[in-house]
Amino acid sequence: MNYPVWELTTYGGGFLIALVAVVHVLVSHFAVGGGLYLIMLEKKAYKEDNAQLLDYVKKHSKFFLLVTMVFGGLTGVGIWWTIALLNPAATSSLIHTFVFGWAAEWVFFLTEIIALFIYFYTFGKMNRKNHLIIGWLYFISAWMSLFLINGIIGYMLTPGAWIENHNFWSGFFNPTFWPSLIFRTGISLTLCGVFGFVTAAFLKDEKLRQNIMRTCAAWVAIPFTLMIAGGWWYFQAIPEPAITMILEKSPEIANYLLLLTWVMPIFFIASMVMTIKLPNSLQKVFCFAIVGIALVYFGAFEFIREGGRRPFIIYDHMYSNQVFVKDVPEVQKAGFLTTAKWAKHKKVTDENMMEAGQDLFKFQCSACHSVDGPLNDIKPLVKKYDNAFGMDAKLNGLGKLNGYMPHFMGTREERWALANYIVSGLNHIDDMNMGNPVVEQKELPLTIPPFDKEKDEYVLLSWNDQAMHTVSDSSPYWIIQPPANNIFAQLVKRGDSPEIITAGVKISYQVEDGFEYPEKKVQFWNYANKLLGADLAPGVGMTGLKVSGTMQVEEDHHAFSAAAVPVVPYPEDGRFNPYPIFTITATDETTGEILATTKTVVPTSTEMGCKNCHGGGWKVAGVAGVTAETSLDVLAAHDKNSGTNLVEKAKNGEPMLCQSCHADSRLGTKGNPDLLNFSAAIHGWHANFLTDREGMQACVACHPSRPDGPTQSFRSHHAQFMDCTNCHGTMEDHSLSLLKKELEAGKKGAARLMENLKPRTVETVAEINPRTPWINEPDCLTCHVDFEMGSSTDAFNTWTEGAEGLYRNRHDQMEAMMCAACHSSPHAVYPATFNLLGENRDSIQPLQYQGNDRPIGNDCTVCHTVQPEFEGHHPNSLRL
Amino acid sequence: MNPAALIPTPDVLSVPWGWFYVLLMLTFLLHILVMNVMLGGGIIALISSFIGGEQNTLLDKEFGYKWPYTIAFAVNMGVAPLLFIQVLYGQFIYSSSVLMAVWWFSIFGLLILAYYGAYIYDFKFETLGSPRIFMLEFSVLILLFVGFMFSNNMTLMLQPEKWLAYFQNGGGTLLNLSDISLYPRYLHFVVGAVAVAGLFFALVAHFRFTKSAVNREFLIDQGMTYFTYATAIQIFIGFWFLLALPKNVMMVFMGGSSLATILLLIGIILGFSALYIGYKKQVILASIITLLTLIVMIFLRDLVRIAYLKPYFQLSDLVVEPQYSPLIFFLVVFAIGLALIGYMLKLAFGCRKEVTK
Repeated sequence: MNYPVWELTTYGGGFLIALVAVVHVLVSHFAVGGGLYLIMLEKKAYKEDNAQLLDYVKKHSKFFLLVTMVFGGLTGVGIWWTIALLNPAATSSLIHTFVFGWAAEWVFFLTEIIALFIYFYTFGKMNRKNHLIIGWLYFISAWMSLFLINGIIGYMLTPGAWIENHNFWSGFFNPTFWPSLIFRTGISLTLCGVFGFVTAAFLKDEKLRQNIMRTCAAWVAIPFTLMIAGGWWYFQAIPEPAITMILEKSPEIANYLLLLTWVMPIFFIASMVMTIKLPNSLQKVFCFAIVGIALVYFGAFEFIREGGRRPFIIYDHMYSNQVFVKDVPEVQKAGFLTTAKWAKHKKVTDENMMEAGQDLFKFQCSACHSVDGPLNDIKPLVKKYDNAFGMDAKLNGLGKLNGYMPHFMGTREERWALANYIVSGLNHIDDMNMGNPVVEQKELPLTIPPFDKEKDEYVLLSWNDQAMHTVSDSSPYWIIQPPANNIFAQLVKRGDSPEIITAGVKISYQVEDGFEYPEKKVQFWNYANKLLGADLAPGVGMTGLKVSGTMQVEEDHHAFSAAAVPVVPYPEDGRFNPYPIFTITATDETTGEILATTKTVVPTSTEMGCKNCHGGGWKVAGVAGVTAETSLDVLAAHDKNSGTNLVEKAKNGEPMLCQSCHADSRLGTKGNPDLLNFSAAIHGWHANFLTDREGMQACVACHPSRPDGPTQSFRSHHAQFMDCTNCHGTMEDHSLSLLKKELEAGKKGAARLMENLKPRTVETVAEINPRTPWINEPDCLTCHVDFEMGSSTDAFNTWTEGAEGLYRNRHDQMEAMMCAACHSSPHAVYPATFNLLGENRDSIQPLQYQGNDRPIGNDCTVCHTVQPEFEGHHPNSLRL
Repeated sequence: MNPAALIPTPDVLSVPWGWFYVLLMLTFLLHILVMNVMLGGGIIALISSFIGGEQNTLLDKEFGYKWPYTIAFAVNMGVAPLLFIQVLYGQFIYSSSVLMAVWWFSIFGLLILAYYGAYIYDFKFETLGSPRIFMLEFSVLILLFVGFMFSNNMTLMLQPEKWLAYFQNGGGTLLNLSDISLYPRYLHFVVGAVAVAGLFFALVAHFRFTKSAVNREFLIDQGMTYFTYATAIQIFIGFWFLLALPKNVMMVFMGGSSLATILLLIGIILGFSALYIGYKKQVILASIITLLTLIVMIFLRDLVRIAYLKPYFQLSDLVVEPQYSPLIFFLVVFAIGLALIGYMLKLAFGCRKEVTK
């Protein structure tokens, strides 16, 4: 924002500060406690009149001087040096806020140096009492340095009331000041023992060596309790949300926490081993090993403390990337590049996109991410984003659902530039189509069944109720939806007063050639037992039906149905065909005479765009199917964000149906009552990554309705002037309608997902009408008032009241014909001429019975042998 | 691009800038004194090594005893002015530091090496024998390098118009080598350091603070000789430096500002006086004159900084949100610190002839 950023690439991401800080922390804490160790041992030597011990103390003091004053002192300055280069804004803030704290620390640093020089150079030359006084003054000065630095470091994690009042003392004596001071004092004293092992190991006199080893072990053991107590209190004192970040949320901290829990006992035990009389050569090795263990131990702690601050460098005051929290609204509005003083380009253009993106990476990301470096390398983290869309979505969602990274700061154009830079500039992937090839229209052969208006006695109508049926072909890992579309049929006996026939006939359905064996195409049946808890024979769907069979009577609807027909979009030739055609035949049960035959499309698509963000590419024909890589990444993301172990389960052969935890009325699963229902969860989560998208951009990222995709599910005439959002709302609005219902039901997860979603069609969340998925859906009559031509294209936010009001369940006003019988399936209502496999493919029955692609009844004589005079089905049905 | 647009917005101060200004000047004087002994002493020791001879070797040994102290205190005394300059001029020095980050970052690592080099030189003086000169060269070269980096940063921070180079090179390897005033400025510090260090040797001998068997008269004589020659060279470099400054800055000292012009004249007069007194080998008087010269030079240096930054910034622009209690706390700590130091030094000097018990 304010300062230039050092382009470190490989050694970025905090590597330099980690390098300097970890070694400094060890030595600087030793510098504090070591003073007390010297005094105590010197006193002991005087008391016991032990010249050998006194000699050891003098030698140790030389070691101490060389380690702490030279290395400790200069690495301490080095930390300051380094942070000023890596994060000048934060350094400046710390310097200006605590200038007199630092200045006081400098005074103690000076007295520390003078005391230590005098202590070392007058050893044996000064009056014993005075020499001990010098030692004490050293220790007090060193501890005061710790006291002062501790306040400032603690402030960075827990600034407490300072955020409000900007008072020096509020920041200094912050909520973690005292516990941290105790903890660090404990560390300091423990380290005396650790470094004592080193000097003791090189003593020639065995007895003295062993005595000092034991003394040092005690110096580790006794302050260890102080350290543990301080550490425990410290964790208690860290407020929310930082403590949750440390213990649960942060992906980087988890490893350090684990390391800490392992290394702590090892550190203690290794130190106690030194009390045993070991061969001197072993002692010489062990003493350095213990220093190494201590380095890992305290390094892990410091990493945790630093990580706990994410995404801030100074909690609630400044983000890690040097942006003040208070400046964010302005940056979001005006743009990052405009407000960053050291940005090369102030506006993103087509020409400068890569350079602007690089600048955005430098200013917003490089503080924590290296490029090809040892610390937090960006490349493997974004490897899965093989297209800018997915990367852009990830950036869109940053900081919203997981607090360990800040929000992306800037405009849509800037975000897009950054996404392009990461994908093309860093990972060198340059695919204009983002892995989604443009699929050209291709007419497949189709024969319209014959109908003789003069002779034929029956009209057989058939449709499916899930015209955008999507199958997640990812069964070894998880499934959202098993292969299962529902086919319906109504048989009408033509006449002056047509009759709906439901008795004495058999309606059978038969899939077209090439689709007969879905069990050979997908792995669903290998895992059905795990996924659904039901033993399904190969090729048999959830309700016991296969892709060919007989329909059941649905008395309530005066219709026949075949529920959950397990059709998949993979014909024999290895292609992808989401529109297999079924032949429906009505036969007289008694005579076996064929009464009527028709055909209908039963859509089924595996064009589920998980890979757009989860990586892994398409599985089948380069256009559809969810690969193992994509599937595992989806689970890994779920595990990371929700604390599940789905990857492990899947790898152990236990894939899951998503709706088994997240209730779903369509599949009829109860789920876990504490969790969001499936639709609310999946839309609410992903909406945070897909805000402010134009038209149906967000929808088609996942659903099979990409305008140039291989399915293009939305294929009715409505597609000419509407898109998904006209009825379902934008991604935000759609999600909010689902989440709001869950919020009202007391589901705790809803608020979190709603927090960063702003409604778009309406002004406030209050104006959004909550709804239950699959029950409260858009209603055709919102636009088609009284069945007239639509007067508006805005159907969002008016929902059907119950399941009986759904288009797929509704009948005409005589409760005879089902809406879909004459108007066809949702998303493909007649006229539906936009099927990319042929303009007639979705209009078989109108063409068969009427010779046109209009809704059935466009010509009343299809069923009525005498032209009716009143509108029996619904108003405007005769277009009078 | 307008370089002024690159200057970061400064943070607010807790007390008026004058407080920090006084502390900056005071602590910088302390730093420069110790730094001069550390660097100039190293150079003198190196020259003595080349000349050789018993007394010169003893001078080298004497310096070996003092050197680690000077590094410790030069670093410590450097911390305070660096703190206060960051308070007053943070927006400039942080920016220029990032521009030359690779060099700047290398400084403290190199200083650790130089520091250990000095300790090895001290502790192993006899053991090492004549190869110890490599240790001396090693540490002195590092210190010279560090000084050069400081001169680069202190000049780069004053010239935002040079910061535009960042857009061609953001890797932190920039330096201010194209600035013709950089070289006389750097030499002014190095040669000045030799002069002050020469005086330091003379003072050590004068007050009998020698630890080695070096001849007292020799040390005074040598010290004052280094002092005088370096001061003579220093006067020439001073004029070179003045003429190498950008015209708008130089003119401030040539009548543009009466305060600056008078101060420069005082400095020149003091310089010549030091030269004369040095030639006369009057240790104490030379020390007083040198101290006064250094104070004047520090203020002149600051006036140069102000003149450079005039188009962009003045200290009175800084916003203050007053909080005095931390300042009082610091002043109390400072007083206690000084008292403790006084007490400890008293104990230390009191024990010189004490017996062990």
